[in-house]
Amino acid sequence: MLVLQILIDGFAISTLYALGALGFTLIFGVSGVLNLAHGGLLVVSAMIAYYVGTRLGLGAYIGAGAGILAGIVTAMATYLLIVRPIQRSRVIPARERELFVLTGTLLWGVMLQEMLSYIFTDTPITVKPLLPGIVDFLGVTTPANEFITAAISWVVLGCLWLLVNRTKMGKQLLAASINPRGLTLLGFELSRIYLLVWIIYGVLAGIAGILLGSFLGTSSEFIPALTGSAFSIVVLGGLGSVSGTLFAAYVIGYIETLTAYLVSPSLRNVPALVLLILVLYIRPQGLLGRR
Amino acid sequence: MKKFFSSKPFILTIGTLAIASLLPFGVSDYILGVLTTAFYFAVFSMSWDLLFGYAGEVNFGPTFLIGLGAYGAGMADSLLNLPVPVCILIGALAAVIGGVALAIPALRLTGPYLGLITLVAVLLLQQVIVIFAGVTGGEIGLSMPDVLSVNSAPNYEYALAFMTVSGAILFAISRSNFGLILQAAGQDPIAARALGFNITKHKIAAFAISALFSGLSGALLVFYLGTASVNAVVDIAIGVRVIIAAVLGGRRTIIGGAIGAIFLIVAGEILRPLGQLSTLVVAIMALIVIMVSPDGLLGMLRARRTT
Amino acid sequence: MNLKGFIAARSIRAGLLASAATMLVGFAGWAVSPAQAADPIKIGITTELATIPGKAIANGAELAADQINAAGGIDGRQIQLVIEDDHLSSTDAVSSFQRMVKEDHVVAVVGTFVSEVGLALEPWSARLHEPYLITGAAANQLSQFVHKDYARNKYIFHAYLPAAFLAQAVCDASHDILVNQFHMKTAVILSEDAAWTQPLDAGYQGCLPKAGLTVEKEIRFSPDTTDFTPIYQQLASLNPNVIIAGWAHVGVQPTVQWNTQHVPIALAGINAQAGSSQFWQATNGGTEGVITGNVAAPGVAITPKTLPFSDAYQKKFGYSPAYSAYTTYDAMYMLKDAIERAKSTNALPLVAALEKTDMVGTQGRLEFLGQSSQFTHALRYGPGYVTGVAIQWQSGQQKTIWPLNLANAKAEFPSFVKLPKMAAN
Repeated sequence: MLVLQILIDGFAISTLYALGALGFTLIFGVSGVLNLAHGGLLVVSAMIAYYVGTRLGLGAYIGAGAGILAGIVTAMATYLLIVRPIQRSRVIPARERELFVLTGTLLWGVMLQEMLSYIFTDTPITVKPLLPGIVDFLGVTTPANEFITAAISWVVLGCLWLLVNRTKMGKQLLAASINPRGLTLLGFELSRIYLLVWIIYGVLAGIAGILLGSFLGTSSEFIPALTGSAFSIVVLGGLGSVSGTLFAAYVIGYIETLTAYLVSPSLRNVPALVLLILVLYIRPQGLLGRR
Repeated sequence: MKKFFSSKPFILTIGTLAIASLLPFGVSDYILGVLTTAFYFAVFSMSWDLLFGYAGEVNFGPTFLIGLGAYGAGMADSLLNLPVPVCILIGALAAVIGGVALAIPALRLTGPYLGLITLVAVLLLQQVIVIFAGVTGGEIGLSMPDVLSVNSAPNYEYALAFMTVSGAILFAISRSNFGLILQAAGQDPIAARALGFNITKHKIAAFAISALFSGLSGALLVFYLGTASVNAVVDIAIGVRVIIAAVLGGRRTIIGGAIGAIFLIVAGEILRPLGQLSTLVVAIMALIVIMVSPDGLLGMLRARRTT
Repeated sequence: MNLKGFIAARSIRAGLLASAATMLVGFAGWAVSPAQAADPIKIGITTELATIPGKAIANGAELAADQINAAGGIDGRQIQLVIEDDHLSSTDAVSSFQRMVKEDHVVAVVGTFVSEVGLALEPWSARLHEPYLITGAAANQLSQFVHKDYARNKYIFHAYLPAAFLAQAVCDASHDILVNQFHMKTAVILSEDAAWTQPLDAGYQGCLPKAGLTVEKEIRFSPDTTDFTPIYQQLASLNPNVIIAGWAHVGVQPTVQWNTQHVPIALAGINAQAGSSQFWQATNGGTEGVITGNVAAPGVAITPKTLPFSDAYQKKFGYSPAYSAYTTYDAMYMLKDAIERAKSTNALPLVAALEKTDMVGTQGRLEFLGQSSQFTHALRYGPGYVTGVAIQWQSGQQKTIWPLNLANAKAEFPSFVKLPKMAAN
């Protein structure tokens, strides 16, 4: 009974973690950008979904659509206003662009947080669930929304896999991540590929933000923590490795759930943090990363 | 060396500091209070710059070291009732131990990996403080029986003196052979090692020095505030401010960290009438400065002088 | 450019220069104006504007100041508020407190609903001899600090109830409603791990059994918990009748998850965010059936002052007041009253006058406890003084269910909550 409960609950949380971190790892894999405003994208989408779905009363589905749109807009803004100007800057030495992207996105995250807190206050809200009600699954009562969340997450993950591995566009993305210069030499326009990948990132972050917001609630104050946990999962799995990210998300999700059920809910985060330090120390490239 | 002491920037710095030391005779207590906090932040940023700017170590967790210093000193005061200077030394010692502990993974890891370790160190420290709320004060913060002084002027002079001495020492270190070796190790560790330098020793020393000043400053700050709390000295948001200040002022200059920190805090005060939006405006200003002038405010000053 | 345009441009430039200069001078604090009898009385408000209770503190103070000024001020002097946002940071709060005292020369400082901010400000109130009224934070330590060293710390007033009293109010309400009306027998205490809930939980442990509820377990969780499923699963296996909450930093998530997971246990105690009228939307209606303690409730006349206040508040701000608006509004009137009786705005006479406060406010009759109480300078709790109310969310509205003489609805629970079989039915 307890085992099944832990399995179900851990699965739901882990899947959300995976989806939440996926865009972060994708954008790093393809364009080498660590977006420290990542949590901001998630929360903006969730807040807009809440505003449209609940405050304006247009319902969960229109709200979710607006949220995803907000995710795309915010991702584009991150790229066009912050990342691209830094990457193309003539005054910033090439060797230090990475640091400037980090600092720039960090500042952008602060701005998103302040804007949200000004418009919506810091009070946490929940996004309207797509499917209300509960399901009795082998004797464990679980909200239907939890199943929907897991199902949507896996569909999105599947689509992304197909996109990367089965389409021409995906091959270009892969090529861009492995050898950007080679791709340019072949006559492809890198900037278009990057733009595209930021749009995909926006969609992923939008969906993840809305699902997180309906399952766990959201608030502008969550932005740094969300960025932090995506960062942890991605590094634990190996930077830029999509399968590593999925694996790490499940490792962290289940460790947290086990701790919460078997030890104490208030110690939930501690074992995962310790594990993170240990893994980084013993295997700095992450669980599934290549050096 | 002689040339350095008669150089324009040096004279300018001394002049500014001399005027600064006379401020208590002319301006209100409130401005002194703002600048006191700013001076302690200046030391945070300068210490961070030694690690990042010179040794190339991506330390996302300056507040791990600051927090150890602050809580070390605060707990020595509130639990053991030791004299204030002893408490400050205990805080500094705790920070140095923490700094050396951070240096160990730094010997193996670089870039984002080290960044994450330092970030996790902050999160763990935060958890420990909350879990052991009985002795640390937990979420609520530690109230301390002693303060440096109730009056603004002495507090201001302590902070100014501390910032000046720390800044001078850190600057001297950065310009010494030690600093050059750090810089070489940060940019090309293999070459530096091939030249026969003991990088391990230098890196550990850099972490210890940075920790010493961060810790001292954290300890002094809590004795100025009369309270140590997670959101004042440990929170990641504080670390972000320290990093932004160092980059904004101009990294790899030490002095830039001080300029950036003072600018951020004073700008925040001037924009106070904007209320909630003040942080947003400061962030936008900081972003514009680093985009336009990657060498920060100090770089802008230099550029103006050369043209 | 013609002459007219030139003059206009010049005057704009001059204006800009002048305003820049004013800003500079203002910042440098060189502008000194001699004190006059008709000078406004400045009162500092330190609060957290991005939060519901924090904003309510500022609103409550503004409303009181408007009303007092419209009625002629305090002995003919107008009130001028200095409202500062501490962004939930004790560092910001301390520097803003110092600024308000040293730069604005405020007569007293009012505010904060965060205990850690309050505790950081208290030593400064004592050091700077500045009267400070805390109007939203609940930790016992706030008033115990005054008791510990009265001579030094007498400048601090806790113009709200300490957690120990809040626990007592919850027990009293639980006895009247849950035990007497619904025959509940067992409870589980579920509190966020924060300073204010330590005394609250101790209070619950002491008074719930006396109220007729056996405490089966006390669970404390980290305030940054977002997934409450493990906790609710554990609770379901214990199968108590009611969850007695101690929540302020959290609220939305545990409430929503209680509802979406159909936790079959009633939810009562203190769920501070549920006291706000915006909570219904924030939880998508998940708060239906939730009971929480509050200082007052919409439409309930605790005293003759309650309804006029909440109506005026609704009219001015467009939403109903959170608990800290009532306490801050009352604190402003207590200050006015004390300044008039003391005939002075100096700290010592003002403190002495505040100690003699005995007036009717929006929450009840207001009186500060004396030096002998361990909660020195906290509000007196009990029938005839301040007791608070228990409200329950019913069909999107906050209904008052306790005290029984003020109730405008009977308690009822969502269908997924399993209630004990009623002998009477």
